[in-house]
Amino acid sequence: MKIGCVINPVAGMGGAVGLKGTDGQVAEAVRRGAVPVAPGRAARLFSLLRPEGHTFLTAGGSMGADLASAAGLTAETVYVPKAAETTAEDTRRACLAFLDRGAELILFCGGDGTARDIYAVVGDGVPILGVPSGVKMYSGVFAATPEAAAECVNRLDEAVMTDAEVMDIDEGAYRENRLAVSLAGIARTPALTGHLPASKWATDARHEARAQLDIARFIVDIMREDTLYLIGAGSTTAAVIAALGEGGTLLGIDAVYDSEVVARDLGEKEILRLLDEYPRVQAVVSPIGAQGFVLGRGTQQFSPAVIERIGPDAFIVIATEAKLSRTPTLYLDTGDPALNRQFPDFIQVVCGYAMARRMPLSR
Amino acid sequence: MCSMKTKYILDENDLPKQWYNIQADLPVPIGPSYNPQTLEPVGPEDLAPIFASELIRQEVSTERFIDIPAEVRDILTLWRPSPLYRAHRLEKLLQTPAKIFYKYEGVSPPGSHKSNTAIAQAYYNMQDGIERIATETGAGQWGSSLAFGTQLFDMECKVYMVRGSFDQKPYRKMMMQCWGADCVASPSPETEAGRTLLAKDPDTSGSLGMAISEAVEDAAGNSNTNYALGSVLNHVCLHQSVIGQETIEQLKMAGEETADVVIGCAGGGSNFAGLAFPFYREKIAGRMPDCRFIATEPAACPTLTKGLYAYDYGDVSGYTPIMQMYTLGHGFVPPSIHAGGLRYHGMAPLVSLLHHEGCIDAVSCHQNEVFRAAVAFCRAEGIIVAPESAHAVKTVMDVAEECRRTGVEKTIVFNCSGHGHFDLSSYEAYFAGGLPDYEYPADLIAASLKELPVIPR
Repeated sequence: MKIGCVINPVAGMGGAVGLKGTDGQVAEAVRRGAVPVAPGRAARLFSLLRPEGHTFLTAGGSMGADLASAAGLTAETVYVPKAAETTAEDTRRACLAFLDRGAELILFCGGDGTARDIYAVVGDGVPILGVPSGVKMYSGVFAATPEAAAECVNRLDEAVMTDAEVMDIDEGAYRENRLAVSLAGIARTPALTGHLPASKWATDARHEARAQLDIARFIVDIMREDTLYLIGAGSTTAAVIAALGEGGTLLGIDAVYDSEVVARDLGEKEILRLLDEYPRVQAVVSPIGAQGFVLGRGTQQFSPAVIERIGPDAFIVIATEAKLSRTPTLYLDTGDPALNRQFPDFIQVVCGYAMARRMPLSR
Repeated sequence: MCSMKTKYILDENDLPKQWYNIQADLPVPIGPSYNPQTLEPVGPEDLAPIFASELIRQEVSTERFIDIPAEVRDILTLWRPSPLYRAHRLEKLLQTPAKIFYKYEGVSPPGSHKSNTAIAQAYYNMQDGIERIATETGAGQWGSSLAFGTQLFDMECKVYMVRGSFDQKPYRKMMMQCWGADCVASPSPETEAGRTLLAKDPDTSGSLGMAISEAVEDAAGNSNTNYALGSVLNHVCLHQSVIGQETIEQLKMAGEETADVVIGCAGGGSNFAGLAFPFYREKIAGRMPDCRFIATEPAACPTLTKGLYAYDYGDVSGYTPIMQMYTLGHGFVPPSIHAGGLRYHGMAPLVSLLHHEGCIDAVSCHQNEVFRAAVAFCRAEGIIVAPESAHAVKTVMDVAEECRRTGVEKTIVFNCSGHGHFDLSSYEAYFAGGLPDYEYPADLIAASLKELPVIPR
């Protein structure tokens, strides 16, 4: 397999010196005494990668070639940055070069910003796997550690392909201690799940798609004709609408009534209006991002006012087993601590046809 | 001399000479089973192509006691009567005033209660001139028991083993091989049912319902072959009644004239029935008026606690008779929990009837709490129990702890139906953390007002 490896050498520098992000802040981070974080993580990754069966592609200098060479990892340089100080544009161009050379997986060291830049180029066409090196890592494409990422690559034939949200964090708001998270897209990422049957790389996408289909079939089968269903963001929830034979909004919230989509890409106010109109409402949501947020991060349309009106019991949470294996605890952040406390400590997550898992829910 | 007696052992001559048939003592008559093709009540002629004649007779018999053939008793003495233990150390651990006894069926050569019926079924098939038996197995306990039984009567044995267990428990299939059986993963490409299921889902982990379809098809298509089922059916529950009959006598040896709570795990229901049914007879005869029965099942497959009491097929493909029982729907594929023997969508009609009539209680447990209880048990009593039996252990501990809280001294008896020596990878997974706590989303299904199990009409 051809694997592209790219490092954002300045990722994570802002975090240690209180900048809460490095986008456009490299000079200030250096002035404050920040030292690069990503190269150390990348060195750990490269030292553990086993080359058998793989061809590694990388970008020049600090974006990969120097560290690969130092680690004794043979990697072909397919893009060279113009300047010593690299930019997001260099990350994007390196990924374009990987695609041109037929890369089937992109490994990167960086944070949410890097993930977003790579996703902007590769979309869900090529899987991506991140080594966490940034200030913020809310996206679901990150392995826990460089060692975990290397293990996943070394055992790709056992890995399962999962959908993973790429999150867009508003850095300006973040520096003001406000977390404004939106969903930038759904990427694909490999995961070692531990308890799923081993499967070949080529069939992984089918595994995940089938798991989503089983869940969707079940949700459709238990839907009542007298209930409005608010279908949250994500590929698993999108499969529910697809199972109804309809098209939905991958990154937004749609409303379904009597097996038909009656409203698409809803905002908070539109949802509140629907709640006035329909007496019986349920919401179908899927955990979002690396931490597995059931509500609150990336789905702000489900505002405290909306959640209060619907009630905690009316939420049906769905997720594939592969996804749950990466988020052993799910999280909740409605924005209202009192509302958070109305949710139980354990929730039921539908993970197959007539099949669910009991999962801990943390605030 | 130890002041606390631990083991209660009966002499070989005390092995019961008759099986107890609860069909003579049911509170209401059991509903007929129906032919899946004609939808007419099943008669002996419907079962004759795949079952031995005496087993068909036992299936519908209402005689209270049925003689155990001398040849069968002779083989059963290889391990029977099985010991009854007083769990002193577990009682101490739990600081409970309850007296806990367990009947240990793990002493049979294949390691579980399943051999009690495997020997009988193999014997009756041999008598009918059958040369080969096809069957299914979940965790492998039944498959290895039938492999053991058939080789004692010089018969061939074909075992369709649920693929999830086939992959998880390689030593079970080697055990079957040692006893001369041919074991394949189910669904397999060897049957039409298996090929159809594989075409639908090549990566399925299988289920007991699927494996039953394959074994029934195999038996129906080969004139020298009959089918054998390791649980569910009336004659299987009958053969297991030696467990409870022995236990009642052993309790008397321990000075206990009655049991307050009788507990067993329930997948298809036979090990629970084997212990509980003879006690039920004592109860209705007025000798144990306050005896309570609890069947324990996995939250992932809670047939008694969350299923419907209805008519349904016993297998996925609809080859078996349609039986009145608690069911989650014959199309339900339970998640791959480690208690593979409890992954069955239905329940023995006899156990189902008694639960429906309020004679038997049922509870369900999650995987992690079950393994937690099993580990506590093995550290107190030494025996590493099968994940299936661990469900019973969990309920025993719950009842014993309730006794501690209330100060009530109860006599608890449970069926420790098998050892877990071939299930150590399951314990490994538990110790590694992250065992998924699967559960059946019953509330969602109930709220939908739809009866998901598709019941044939």
